[in-house]
Amino acid sequence: MRQLKITLLALAASVLVTACGGGGSADTTPRAKITSVKVFGDSIQDSGTFGYKFTVQAPDNLIFAERVAASYGQTLCNFFTFTGATFAPNSKAGCTNFAIGGGRVTYTGPGASAANPLNIGVQMATFASIGTYAATDLVIIDGGGNDAADLVGAYLSIPRDSAASFSALLGTLLTPTQIGTALAGGSATVAAIGGTYMTALADKFYASIKTSVLDKNAPYIVVMNMPGITNTPRFQMVLDSVAAATAAGARSAGADAATAAAAGAKARADSETLFKSWIVAFNTALAAKVGNETRIALVDFYSAFNDQVGDPPQYSLTNVKTPTCPVSGVGGDGLPTYDFPTCTATALSAKPPAGVTDPNWWKSYAFSDGFHPTPYAHQLTGQLISKALALKGWL
Amino acid sequence: MKTTLLCLAAVALSASGLAQAQTAGSVVVRAGATTIMPKVESGNLTAPSLAGTQIDVKDATQVSGGVTYFFTDNLAIDVPVSLPFKHDVVGAGAIAGVGNLGTFKALPVTVMGQFYLGSATSRLRPYVGAGITYARFMKPKATAALSGLTGGTPTNPTLLTMKSAAGPTVALGLSVKLGGRWTADGVVSKTLLKTTGTLSTGQTIEATLDPLAVALSIGYAF
Repeated sequence: MRQLKITLLALAASVLVTACGGGGSADTTPRAKITSVKVFGDSIQDSGTFGYKFTVQAPDNLIFAERVAASYGQTLCNFFTFTGATFAPNSKAGCTNFAIGGGRVTYTGPGASAANPLNIGVQMATFASIGTYAATDLVIIDGGGNDAADLVGAYLSIPRDSAASFSALLGTLLTPTQIGTALAGGSATVAAIGGTYMTALADKFYASIKTSVLDKNAPYIVVMNMPGITNTPRFQMVLDSVAAATAAGARSAGADAATAAAAGAKARADSETLFKSWIVAFNTALAAKVGNETRIALVDFYSAFNDQVGDPPQYSLTNVKTPTCPVSGVGGDGLPTYDFPTCTATALSAKPPAGVTDPNWWKSYAFSDGFHPTPYAHQLTGQLISKALALKGWL
Repeated sequence: MKTTLLCLAAVALSASGLAQAQTAGSVVVRAGATTIMPKVESGNLTAPSLAGTQIDVKDATQVSGGVTYFFTDNLAIDVPVSLPFKHDVVGAGAIAGVGNLGTFKALPVTVMGQFYLGSATSRLRPYVGAGITYARFMKPKATAALSGLTGGTPTNPTLLTMKSAAGPTVALGLSVKLGGRWTADGVVSKTLLKTTGTLSTGQTIEATLDPLAVALSIGYAF
């Protein structure tokens, strides 16, 4: 009996000892099997249509769509290449990233036509015309940010061009009667019609997604809503110029410096609120259209971007105001320009800002130029999409 | 598993007769199953993360047993043993609903003093226990979702480790004589445990686990 007791105790002890130890490992198999990732959108998702990405150039500068693809063991390359005048299919076979820098829901710039792939709807239709969706395809779509930028620019130019460009842009989606009534109604109705336009823009965007992606049986679809472009350095400068112009106007009308500055600050805040309301109008309409469509993971890029800019330390961001790339010139709109091909990781690391010695200084910044994210900000957005995918049970 | 054990216990009970099984000097060896139910209070994952990124740890059930040595008819020392429990770690707070972030195995080692009511011949013997538990957390396995949420990739996945922890345990149990040297034993215990999860990204998350454990066993006295 005593022998048995000792044996039992020894056995118990040996179970404890042998069960101990062991380090961490990972099962990187996603819950959904994805064998191809199709991407439609604008510069933020462009894998190299123009020979570079719209961020800091580096061998490991994955943009968010590429990060999401990597989660499924996939890589991306640009379907289109820029010929210098137009866009042609990439000679490299198997490329499924159709996004093009400058892409819009409604492209109205040089070479505008219903067939131009700078219209994101055309990108979607292009794939629908040459291929079919498989049960293991993931689609990632973004759009509208450049359209919103166009609208803001056209709105701000109303005093200079008698609302010509504003009317022309609105006319792509709204009726002459709607536009005429709004322009005749004063500043309140002029501001409000921007929201009407953005709602119509979201409807158009969703209609393209429905026709060319949903109705073509794509099984897994990620749709990004529109980020708050007013958070970008470029639009912060635009808002600063609104404040400056208003203040200058008040001064020349006889106001004292403090009153003029207050008027400028109010104009700036009012403009920012207005532009944000347009973006919210787009996102609200888009969310309403997506509804309960189970094949779409709608990603709230808008809120996430606001959160990042509002609380940088939470996201390990050290700078959400200054572009990392050096200013290369001044554009026709008076805003600084940047040159992505020469804005390399090596160049940035070699040239930290004054008083900084860490070569990785730029890796915690949010913006590469005045409008586009750094690779790190792309990582944060990739993580945001991953959350949406995991909520769907797809990752 | 639990149902099976309850049936076993019921069958054994119906065939029971009284015998002296828990007297000074006896060793009761038991086998059964234990369910561990963590009551998690999670801290927030450190930056960079979505504000309020938290975790929950799910229940786990495992084959278990133990050895109880009676110093007197009423005082005993008990060492529960089990195979490692496999717990799922899931998202909570800002990432509630994302599902499994990983799994880890927990091997709790407890040493507990027990006081049994009644006499050695009592058929029903409620008991209380108190002791300490050392929970060894091991073999953590992260998921693709964890990598996706934290910037990892399949080639450089985010890994997860959980720091082993020690804490006090209290228990409330009931031993039922079944007949001969056999007993049925049910015990509920609560352990106060805090751990820190660490990701290979360097981020950490603190969590109070405070598991409640329920064990059902059939014992045999030597």
